[in-house]
Amino acid sequence: MRLTVPIRAVFGLEIRTLLRDPRTLLISVVLPIVLIPAILIAGDWIESREARATEALSFRVAVEGDRVDLARALLLRVGDETPPGAGRDPTSRFQFVDLEEPGEALADARIDVVLHAMDYGTWMRGVEDGSVDPGPGGPPGEFDGAPRLQILFHSDRTSSREGAQALRRHLLDIREVRRDSILLAAGFPVPTDEVLVVESVNVAPPEAMEGAQLGRFLTLILLGLMTLGGSAIATDTLAGEKERGTLNTLLTSAARRQEIITGKLLAIMAVAFAIALIQILNLWLFLGLGIVDVGGALAVRIPPEAALLLLVLYLPAVALVSGVLLLTSAYARSYKEAQLYLTPVLLALVLPAAVPMLPGISLQSAILLVPIANLGVAVRDLLMGDIHIPSVMTAWAVTALAATWVTRRCVLAIQDENLLLGDRSQEEHTGGEGLFRKQVLVWVLVLWGVKILWDFNIPVQDLRWASLLGVGLVFGLFPLVVIRRFRLEPRRALALRMPHPGVWAGVLLGVPAGILTVLGVFQLVDTVVPVPTEMMESLGQALTPEAIPVWQLLIFVALVPGITEELTFRGVVLYGLRRRFGPVALALVVGLIFGIFHFSLFRIPTTATLGVILTAVTLLTGSILPAMVWHTLNNAAAVLASRDMLPGIDSEWLAEGVGWGWSVSGLVALGVAFAVIWRFRTPYPEVGPPRVG
Amino acid sequence: MTDPFVETRNLTKTFYEESRGEVRAVDSVDLTCRSGEILGLLGANGAGKTTTLRMLSTVLRPTSGEAWVMGHEVRKDPERVRENLGFYSASTALYPKITARETLRFFAQVNRFPRERIEARIEELIDRFGIGDFANSRVEKLSSGMKQKVSIARTVAHDPPVLIFDEPTVALDVLNAIELRQIIGRLRDEGKAILFSTHIMSEAEQLCDRIAIIHQGRILAVGTLDELRKSTGHHYLEEIFVHFARVRDPSEAEVESLRRDRP
Ligand SMILES: Nc1ncnc2c1ncn2[C@@H]1O[C@H](COP(=O)(O)OP(=O)(O)OP(=O)(O)O)[C@@H](O)[C@H]1O
Ligand SMILES: [Mg+2]
Repeated sequence: MRLTVPIRAVFGLEIRTLLRDPRTLLISVVLPIVLIPAILIAGDWIESREARATEALSFRVAVEGDRVDLARALLLRVGDETPPGAGRDPTSRFQFVDLEEPGEALADARIDVVLHAMDYGTWMRGVEDGSVDPGPGGPPGEFDGAPRLQILFHSDRTSSREGAQALRRHLLDIREVRRDSILLAAGFPVPTDEVLVVESVNVAPPEAMEGAQLGRFLTLILLGLMTLGGSAIATDTLAGEKERGTLNTLLTSAARRQEIITGKLLAIMAVAFAIALIQILNLWLFLGLGIVDVGGALAVRIPPEAALLLLVLYLPAVALVSGVLLLTSAYARSYKEAQLYLTPVLLALVLPAAVPMLPGISLQSAILLVPIANLGVAVRDLLMGDIHIPSVMTAWAVTALAATWVTRRCVLAIQDENLLLGDRSQEEHTGGEGLFRKQVLVWVLVLWGVKILWDFNIPVQDLRWASLLGVGLVFGLFPLVVIRRFRLEPRRALALRMPHPGVWAGVLLGVPAGILTVLGVFQLVDTVVPVPTEMMESLGQALTPEAIPVWQLLIFVALVPGITEELTFRGVVLYGLRRRFGPVALALVVGLIFGIFHFSLFRIPTTATLGVILTAVTLLTGSILPAMVWHTLNNAAAVLASRDMLPGIDSEWLAEGVGWGWSVSGLVALGVAFAVIWRFRTPYPEVGPPRVG
Repeated sequence: MTDPFVETRNLTKTFYEESRGEVRAVDSVDLTCRSGEILGLLGANGAGKTTTLRMLSTVLRPTSGEAWVMGHEVRKDPERVRENLGFYSASTALYPKITARETLRFFAQVNRFPRERIEARIEELIDRFGIGDFANSRVEKLSSGMKQKVSIARTVAHDPPVLIFDEPTVALDVLNAIELRQIIGRLRDEGKAILFSTHIMSEAEQLCDRIAIIHQGRILAVGTLDELRKSTGHHYLEEIFVHFARVRDPSEAEVESLRRDRP
């Protein structure tokens, strides 16, 4: 591509504007430059402090019981009994405290652990009258007659937990040494060929370990900084120009749309690239030359050629980040709006960059087709000294292609009259449905941000609360807020209409058919990207923990999402988007939006499929009610199946994949269900772009 | 007679709006503007002036009809069209962080003014519009009068044969408005074809060679002030304007007069 005069002029203008605005310059360039060294130095400092603190940490131990003498003797007589290789003298970590009531002191956190030493007889009596916990083995057991040492601690306090652990390890070591010496003393030589010595030795080459460490988060850090830095110039450029009115002037100049976008894109890229460059130089300087002495995990040596290769690898990521930022700016009608989009955009860009942190992800898998994520994995592999050239080149090309596509969308966006004319401000103040239709995506993005922040920052242990707050509150409140803010008519916005009674037959058939279809999709995903089994198990547990009775699960896992998620997705989101797409695209888009609200990568395809089905039902019946019933029944079936409460259906069978035969039959049955619904359809009103004469 | 620099035929633009449905913002508009002529587009708020001018400057695509600037059709050859025109509007803002001189250079460059002549052209513009004193100051530091000068200079930076002024005087004080009108007059004398939109009658009377009255997207009448006077029998442009607006929409006019008749 030729760098024409207009491209260079636009580029120069953006860079000048940036350089002349001290605030933006500070945020986008200076801050990132000092950030990494600051993080490194701070991390180094914290780590060394922590190490010192842990070393200094000692545990307060009280001893009680009728064998206090034994306990003390064990803990004090360490000189000759410390097992070889145990490191520093463990007794120094235990500080004995003499107390009247050790139990109370433990409860009040005045001490960390209590060591209760008893004769066998005392212990038995205690267990019988219930004053002593029998312990995991229960009475009677191995070593009947041997004295018992019980370590009492409070698992909710770190110091107590760790003290108990350290004490237990120490006592076990001593016990072993004592046993050996007793055997020896009794004239039993320990037969060395029958004793197992177990040791673990890390044989990974140091570069690989360190490279893996660095490679896991390098992309994430760089991408985050590039996005933040690039956004300073990006929000100001198109969105800011709409607000200031300079865009109209620029668009009436002879420059081609492509030239304007190229110039601006290059400027954002220059900033993002400078940031990437500076960070890599930083890493090289600080780590490679050892200016900051970060021992261990981060001490990686990066040769200059590798640093250069890194830059080349990151080039398409730089272009893609810049393109996405520019596109965001093109879609925003004002500077403020562009800033509003920034958080979700940042998350969307950073999420794939976090993929290299996942264990067991290889570049030779479907991840190769995910822009940014594929480069992240390639960089990780490169830093481990393990590159597969064709994959790396494919990753590069895929991300570059994505960047080109985004750039093309930018060009189209500044030709789009509706996006361009940011000056139609009357409607902006009066609110109304038209405004909601324009802003619906922003609101969805904000909801997404809220949901992600909620899910990752507010750990709610109990599933019932998680469902009530994280699903019920979030998705129940959203439609209310939107309806109020835009003064929508609730019945229309939520599609609260009665469908034709015949539709219900289709729904009843559709639920099991839909489940089989979704399971088929899951199998399909599984063949492309194998879903880790642990993930499946933990997911199953998360959704249907044993401790909660079934009827409660039905409420919290089936009914609450069935109603509130529908109110949000098939309610206001569908209502807001209905004019933008034809019915088919609309079902796909709303389904996909529904999918991305289930953050686990592996759940997106399946929930999106369910989302598409539910949207299609709503579009055909013009009512949200069939989708609510469908969604609730669908989740209820999953709950019942996981408890083996569906007659004739084995949860193992569902978990291991139902096989292609069943899923294809499911798909066919789904077709029949939809034929029934089609037969009794009362379509959703006003779908598709309005016809302009 | 030479070909007109600007010509439109059946130019139409329809917007779709939720509350009002289809809006014919511009409806079958035929206009011409020749070299050395100021054509005034006179119309009330929402008449369709801006929409017409935006279609001419290729920012909006016509729904139907055609428009040519220096023989280039707006849909077929938008870049050539834009090369040949300069667009100025009241809301035309400048880039705050660059200097006046850089502004002129930027617009000469993006408009593909021949590279070797750019610097000479900038000096000429600085001279002509009296920018010399603040040529090297950043635009954000200039007064609005100074900014207005820079704005006009950047509009003509690439010396285009066609100039479009969309209500350029709305935000100006009296003296600045007068100065701007003088400048526009001089540009006409140099042979530019100028389209000038306004809702101020006196401004149209003073400045425009021909006046097109636009109302609800339609051109109701076009002609010199004298021609319009003759055809309506009214003297003042205001009366002429009302005359045409009533003819166009008698029921509305009736309601209006009824309302006025009430005590
Ligand atoms: N982007 C748009 N979408 C929908 N309707 C529009 C749009 N732009 C203009 N209109 C409508 O088209 C009509 C003509 O508007 P236009 O801005 O061309 O009028 P104008 O003569 O320039 O008025 P003013 O003196 O207020 O600037 C108005 O009814 C306006 O509401
Ligand atoms: Mg206007």
